Amino acid sequence: MGRGGVSLTRKTVVVAGCFAAAIIAMVFSPGIGLQTITLHDLLSDEQARFIFTTLRLPRMVTAFFAGGCLAVCGLIYQAIFRNPLADPFTLGISSGASLGAALCILGGISGTVAGMSFITAGAFAGALAAMAVIYVFALSNESDSATILLAGVVVTTVCSGAIMFIHVIGGVHKSYQILRWLMGAVDGVAAQNAVMMIVPLLALLTVAVLFMPQLDLLSTGDTLAHSRGINIRNAKLLFISITTVMIATTVSVCGPIGFIGIIAPHACRMMLPGTRHRLLALCSFLTGGTFLIITDTIARSVAPPSEIPVGIITSLCGGPFFLIVLYRLKRRLLL
Amino acid sequence: MSTGLLSFVDMAGCSARYGRSTVLEACSFSVKHGERWAVLGPNGAGKSTLVKMVAGLLPAADGIVSVNGKPVVNMRAVERAKIMAYVPQKPDGVIPYSVRDYLMLGRYAHRGLLRAPSRQDRDAVAAAVAICDIEHITTRLMYTLSGGELQRVLLAGAIAQETPLLILDEPTSFLDPAHERFFFDALGRLHESREVTLIMVTHDINSALFRCSHILALRDRQTLFCGTAAEFTAECPGILNRLFSTAFATYRHHENGAMVFGAWGGEGYP
Repeated sequence: MGRGGVSLTRKTVVVAGCFAAAIIAMVFSPGIGLQTITLHDLLSDEQARFIFTTLRLPRMVTAFFAGGCLAVCGLIYQAIFRNPLADPFTLGISSGASLGAALCILGGISGTVAGMSFITAGAFAGALAAMAVIYVFALSNESDSATILLAGVVVTTVCSGAIMFIHVIGGVHKSYQILRWLMGAVDGVAAQNAVMMIVPLLALLTVAVLFMPQLDLLSTGDTLAHSRGINIRNAKLLFISITTVMIATTVSVCGPIGFIGIIAPHACRMMLPGTRHRLLALCSFLTGGTFLIITDTIARSVAPPSEIPVGIITSLCGGPFFLIVLYRLKRRLLL
Repeated sequence: MSTGLLSFVDMAGCSARYGRSTVLEACSFSVKHGERWAVLGPNGAGKSTLVKMVAGLLPAADGIVSVNGKPVVNMRAVERAKIMAYVPQKPDGVIPYSVRDYLMLGRYAHRGLLRAPSRQDRDAVAAAVAICDIEHITTRLMYTLSGGELQRVLLAGAIAQETPLLILDEPTSFLDPAHERFFFDALGRLHESREVTLIMVTHDINSALFRCSHILALRDRQTLFCGTAAEFTAECPGILNRLFSTAFATYRHHENGAMVFGAWGGEGYP
């Protein structure tokens, strides 16, 4: 790794590459699946058109935004907690959402609240509750990032224990239903649900990107950020609130999809060391979105007609990547 | 004590506590524009606590710190950052930017969230680079710098902020004598180029007496001395013996006869 920052040319190439990858994934993904749909089918075949527009397109758009938002949230957490291993998964937010969903499935509550199913609402509430715990630690001046991650580990462990307990007392049918939810998936997302998810996500993303100069400063450490004119408490509060709602929204629709918040931002940081957060956020969003589109396409193609939940694939890719990050960290090369 | 219209920084009866232990008791001092203050004292005397209260990093348990007549705790973050900049002993951790980007981050209080760097911002950064003599490392990443280079860049970041008050908390503790000198040379150039008020915690007694106009000496959480460097020098080495509870000896420079104080000789030493 060089000692200097990256050149403008390199930035341009990387951004263009991210856009190109996203576009290629978007063009090819909807055609691939149990039934391959070509441009010719789309124009001539009624059924193919139905599959394309009502099933695959909303699914792809959902995957893109979910992946992109999880990546940006990971980027934000790594900056405010100043720890490269912070992401929605390691902080226990996904586990909180899972517990919320599992409780709703156990209770057998069906029906909808405010346009979303009770399971979705339960997951949303669970994510908020888990984040509340992290929040208390994050805003206390004495906690360093290791303390916060440790709190995340504890939240995760407690939630896992509770979920296992629910598995045991819930019976086979409910246990299977919970298991399916826990694996995370973007299939079966209807067009209106996709829109319901994307509109708030876009609004929150806009606010986050607007305030990213504060994130640049937060990542230099609290003392220096304070001296440069950042109200540390307010800035952290803002970013934690935004990301919490973003993650709760994403996870409640797609289930806990792991490691994108680690993979995408770190891949971007490796390509663009020493870059400010607005550019990193753009690249992370595109990379995360593309990654989830591709993994989702793999999920529905490897063993047709059955589908592998996409969360399994992201974890299988993400776990080893996480270890690589950890190893590079040990050599103090990363960040 | 001067508390007239001219005073810039005013600390009035300030105490600080961490939990139940008091780390600074009823400290008062007053700084006028253009003065250079050194805060001296043994470890744990409350020096860092004192400058952190001035910088607004730590609230006072009792008393008020005001700058330009306004309590620091009541200032908005951006307003405060236009008046004072703080340089720590070392950063909290890795800073993931190139030197030039880091310096431009120092302009946040002037730029806000949306404005692109203006000519004024670029000039401020260029001036800071020149003062700190870091032209040759501006494209480097912060985490590849040596300790001496890093401290000069941190100082440059504060200078780029263009504040009338600069607060330094043991900025040269980890530097070798040559890099310590480069750091102080940069402060000297800054002083020549514009009027800056300085409050600096340091353990380098001789540099403090040589380069600062005023001394605040803290011992056991209380003020032992508060006055000009000349008055302090007149009381040396006796006051140093009391301050650090160890014997100091006086030495003279072999050419210009300047007095230097050190605890490495004299009484109790062979």
